[in-house]
Amino acid sequence: MRTLKTLVAAAVAATLLAGCGGGSTPPASSGEASGAPAAASGDTLVIYTNSNGEGRGDWLAAKAAEAGYKIEIVGAGGADATNKLIAEKNNPIADVAFGLNNMYFSQVKNEGALEAYQPAWAGEVDKGLGDGETYWPLVKQAILLGYNSDKISKDAAPKDWTDLWTKDEFKSRYERVTGLGTATAQLVFAGILSRYRDDSGDLGISDDGWKQVEEYFKNGNPAVAKTDLFARIASGDVDMGQMPSSIIADREKSFKVNVDTVTPSVGVPLAVEQLALVKGSKKKEQAQKFIDWFGSAEVQGEFAQKFNSMPVNKSAQAKANPEVVDFFADLKQQDIDWDFVQKNMGAWVEKIELEYMT
Amino acid sequence: MSGSSTVRSMARSPFVLVVGVILTWFIAAFLVWPNVNILMATFFPDGSFSGRAAEKLFSSQRAMKALGNSFLLAVALSVTVNLVGVFIVLVTHYFRIRGSRILFLGYASTFIYGGIVLAAGYKFIYGDKGIVTSLLVRVFPGMDPGWFSGFFAVLVVMTFATTTNHMLFVANALKGIDYQTIEAARNLGASTWTILRRIVLPMLKPTLFAVTILSFLTGLGALSAPQVLGGREFQTITPMILTFTNSPTSRDLAALLAVILGLATMLMLAVMSRLEKGGTYFSVSKVSSELQKQEISNPVANVAVHAVAYLLFAIYTLPVVLIVLYSFADGAAIQTGQLSLANLTLDNYIRVLTQQSGLRPFIVSVVYSALAAVIAVGGLLFVARLLQKYRNWVASTFEYLLHIPWILPSALLALGLIVSYDHPNPLVGGAVLTGTTVILLIAFVTVKIPFTLRMLKASFAAVNSSLEEAAAIMGAKTLYVFRRILLPLVLPAAAAITALNFNSLLDDYDTAIFLAHPLVQPLGLVIKANTDGAEGTEGIANTFVYTVLLMVITGVTMYLVYGRSGRRKGTKRLPDAAPGQPVPGPDLPPAQAPAEDDAARPAAAVR
Repeated sequence: MRTLKTLVAAAVAATLLAGCGGGSTPPASSGEASGAPAAASGDTLVIYTNSNGEGRGDWLAAKAAEAGYKIEIVGAGGADATNKLIAEKNNPIADVAFGLNNMYFSQVKNEGALEAYQPAWAGEVDKGLGDGETYWPLVKQAILLGYNSDKISKDAAPKDWTDLWTKDEFKSRYERVTGLGTATAQLVFAGILSRYRDDSGDLGISDDGWKQVEEYFKNGNPAVAKTDLFARIASGDVDMGQMPSSIIADREKSFKVNVDTVTPSVGVPLAVEQLALVKGSKKKEQAQKFIDWFGSAEVQGEFAQKFNSMPVNKSAQAKANPEVVDFFADLKQQDIDWDFVQKNMGAWVEKIELEYMT
Repeated sequence: MSGSSTVRSMARSPFVLVVGVILTWFIAAFLVWPNVNILMATFFPDGSFSGRAAEKLFSSQRAMKALGNSFLLAVALSVTVNLVGVFIVLVTHYFRIRGSRILFLGYASTFIYGGIVLAAGYKFIYGDKGIVTSLLVRVFPGMDPGWFSGFFAVLVVMTFATTTNHMLFVANALKGIDYQTIEAARNLGASTWTILRRIVLPMLKPTLFAVTILSFLTGLGALSAPQVLGGREFQTITPMILTFTNSPTSRDLAALLAVILGLATMLMLAVMSRLEKGGTYFSVSKVSSELQKQEISNPVANVAVHAVAYLLFAIYTLPVVLIVLYSFADGAAIQTGQLSLANLTLDNYIRVLTQQSGLRPFIVSVVYSALAAVIAVGGLLFVARLLQKYRNWVASTFEYLLHIPWILPSALLALGLIVSYDHPNPLVGGAVLTGTTVILLIAFVTVKIPFTLRMLKASFAAVNSSLEEAAAIMGAKTLYVFRRILLPLVLPAAAAITALNFNSLLDDYDTAIFLAHPLVQPLGLVIKANTDGAEGTEGIANTFVYTVLLMVITGVTMYLVYGRSGRRKGTKRLPDAAPGQPVPGPDLPPAQAPAEDDAARPAAAVR
């Protein structure tokens, strides 16, 4: 009985597998028919973003549905989303992209994958934060140096990034990055290297500038994979490190630590999350309407309220968390030549990864 | 037996021709063309070659050191994984050990999880705040709490994490050994050790070679264990490859590094193929009998083997237990290592499972992974058989081409598919593949080809070719022989390969991120969205929850597939005995089957 069963099972499996063997080719052709191209997926707008985590994606999809937009959010890291937009430029799948900062969007734009569009709310934002043509600013984020304020008083705290490796008391007490793949890390270096611009130097940076990078890596305490900086501050491993402004309040609570931030005299770099229309969108008109809606003061205000972010839209700031608005009102923004940074960031990352990271 | 005559004999078989045509098209369309495209774009950005990438890499101390570390790890792992892997296989399948079923379950824990969470699991135990470390420090106050880091820690963790292939395939090959050879040796006075060394291990060679290549490859591509446990001194090259792949201006560096690793793998493959060549890895006796478990006669050795077996059991199971426990704790507790039973709640699971996307991504991933796993194994069953049967330059060329997916990182494979099929392309009948649901399936099938081929080929090598000849002489057609005789024999291995393929594709991110249809997004993308940012408190807790959920899915898969094929073991000999009995096949002189070069040396038996 058992033998018979086994034989039958084997024969069935064999036939099935044999079918698949011949069929290892057809999926390309038979699937095409069933696999509808994205462009034909009804009236659903496809939206690429790196800002869908912590419930943001779900919130936006629900809000958009209320407003009559059917959207499908495709989340990806900043670099992945950028590469995807560029790779797909000949036959785009996305209609709208948002959340990427100006460095990422300028790469996408340079590859000709963005379509110029002036949103209805263009007058309510500071045009200088975007490119004033294809990508438009939504949310501001400050890239800060934060320290454990329970352990270090304001007077004893570092005054600038450069103090970390020039003053002995901070050496190996600050967390340094182990890779430059993230936007935050790249912005920290944009902030440091911009100060040492020298057109005759290597990649537009003076020797002194590269010396700073070298010292940063030599004296820092390397980050640990999957262990948050705040967890390391809580356990006393390190006392300070880089952090984007939006996460601080939340992490202080979860890890039961208090963190204060440093404002160097040159100011702090800002990351500005943007919104853009993808070139070649087959639902251009609808996508434009969605952009008008999403960037409006009302939606941005609600988003800010819900996720503690700092909206760029001036009329939306009334709804944002007052503490956040005050923080940004007092914050001195570092003057960074973004054109210069964007042109060189790829080469800088490469040089740092190859020569200075140990 | 010369190369050209076997090529000619290949060309005479219609079955070979059909498989060959399909295979040629598949290789050209999905393995060669996309990757040539992306490599051309990478290395010849303006139509001219620049040696920039090589120059930059070879002058970078960090890159060279990381590359060296990757190679060191690959070589070391090829040795250590074999030692531990063979030991646990023998303990569970060859020697009579008390509680071997329990031991098997413990060792099998690597079937269901891996990656960064596994590394984190080991860190909870042996890291500077780990449980074992705290105990040790209490006993030896002078001890360095950071003892478990660097090369040693990475090697230990990766060794224990990658014995899966041994447990599945080496164990399977062991079961196929003819017990009569062992009995005969014992009657002649051979010791347990001699039997093991001279009879058992040589029979396992094809499988051991195949899993050695896999261990080597795992070492070269090591990512999470060095990141978590490598510390300052022991970082590998993969993180750098990933960073450079993501940066369009540095992609040539990533591609060059990947090609270096790929060539090393191919070299390893060539060496192993050479070593494997010429042996006979099946029993030639007319009636083989099933393996019986061996007593270890020396009492000291017996106690020692038991002790080591149970120590390994503890090493294997502790991380799993802790990961499951921690998945109920909040993210802060996970990262600071403070676990208290009072703080365990279901919150993490509720948060993950009540998202808007709900179960849909799980279903999408299960369907994609299952399809890809079955197509890869189903299609390659024929190919592996032919490659194993015909050994000439045509077969070797195909074999090496099928390993292309091992050379390039999956992100580059995906980008290659996009740039090749974002416009109507005659290779696929003028269709546009980007934006369809098919392109991800193609990518999934492609990335699983090398592994599937290696393991299938190894299992075909253990099939006694006289059975096939016997049937052929009786007048059975090629497909019939394949279906009724060969397939039942390799089915347990094929099922295990399918299950492993399925498991490894479930949480894929690197390919899916570029190729997934926006309306049919697999699990990997959702996991990424919920665990990135990378380290926030919820993110890390979600990572653990997803790991446990995946453990459940993969555990069920392994049970369904492997549990069933395990049960089939008892009856496994029947199909090969059944067609054999009425035929005097095995007795026929090999001269009657000139195409079979394996059958030409029946006396080589077991050396």
